[in-house]
Amino acid sequence: MSVVLDVVSAVLLIGGALFCLLASVGVLRFPDAVCRLHAAAKAQTLGLLMILLGAALQNAPRYAVPLALVALFQLLTIPVTGQIVGRTAYRTSSLSEASLTEDALARRVPPEERLPSPDD
Amino acid sequence: MNRPVLRRLPALLWLWLLWVLLWSTPSALVIVGGLLVALSVLAVSRFPGVSRQITVRPLRLLALCWRLVANLVVSATAVAWAAVRHGPRVRAAIVEMPLDADSDLLVTLATLLTNVSPGSLVLEIDRRGGVLYVHVLLVVASGEAGEARRKLLANERRLVAALGRDDPDDVPPLPPPPPSTPPSRKDDA
Repeated sequence: MSVVLDVVSAVLLIGGALFCLLASVGVLRFPDAVCRLHAAAKAQTLGLLMILLGAALQNAPRYAVPLALVALFQLLTIPVTGQIVGRTAYRTSSLSEASLTEDALARRVPPEERLPSPDD
Repeated sequence: MNRPVLRRLPALLWLWLLWVLLWSTPSALVIVGGLLVALSVLAVSRFPGVSRQITVRPLRLLALCWRLVANLVVSATAVAWAAVRHGPRVRAAIVEMPLDADSDLLVTLATLLTNVSPGSLVLEIDRRGGVLYVHVLLVVASGEAGEARRKLLANERRLVAALGRDDPDDVPPLPPPPPSTPPSRKDDA
């Protein structure tokens, strides 16, 4: 039984670490702030959840509660950060125009209402 | 007991429970201290009321939770692959997503659900107009912007089917509009 548990933990911990690593690859390689947020919001969240689960399996059940709280607050705060950073990026013209094929938000926030890009 | 106090009772209990859980050793000091901290937090922070009219349908909700987890795994894998395979060449689109959801809680959940869907991230919420503006990574969503939008809308319908109110005429009142805040410009700089 404990061997099975160890194997499951190991898979979850290593898999989780791998997702965190790939998230950082995404942050490095994607073209603009919002594309990078995708990597941080998804791959990194799943990586963290897997690491928490793997750690919870190796500890006494009473340590699972704080770990579950970490998971809960991670899930609750990710959309908030995503939206704040996304809004700000859009309004400061930080999105890479070249990679954007369609932009429905331009009707709500016309280009003249945005701050010029810091790169210009 | 009057209604405002009663309405804030769940928040009080949650904060109290959270305090005790974080200390993880429930001694008398922790329990009494937790109650005092929870009370003072609620006294200091005045949150606006949230319209939360929902009807819970357990089976559909369970199916939705399963979908949420499955979506998170798929989208994390897809975005990780895109980072390695496509990197700087990824294409994106911002699509509009008109919502069926009409209460604050449902809009929040729709945002969460959209955020875990493969390749999509909510950029902006137009609460009055009931529209989400979603940033879609096209390689991750595997297709065109229109196709991605249709999938997102289908997900949102499932959410409303699981938690939408039985009586659609009982529309919760929107909070008063916030004072208009123009995008902050560095005029004073």
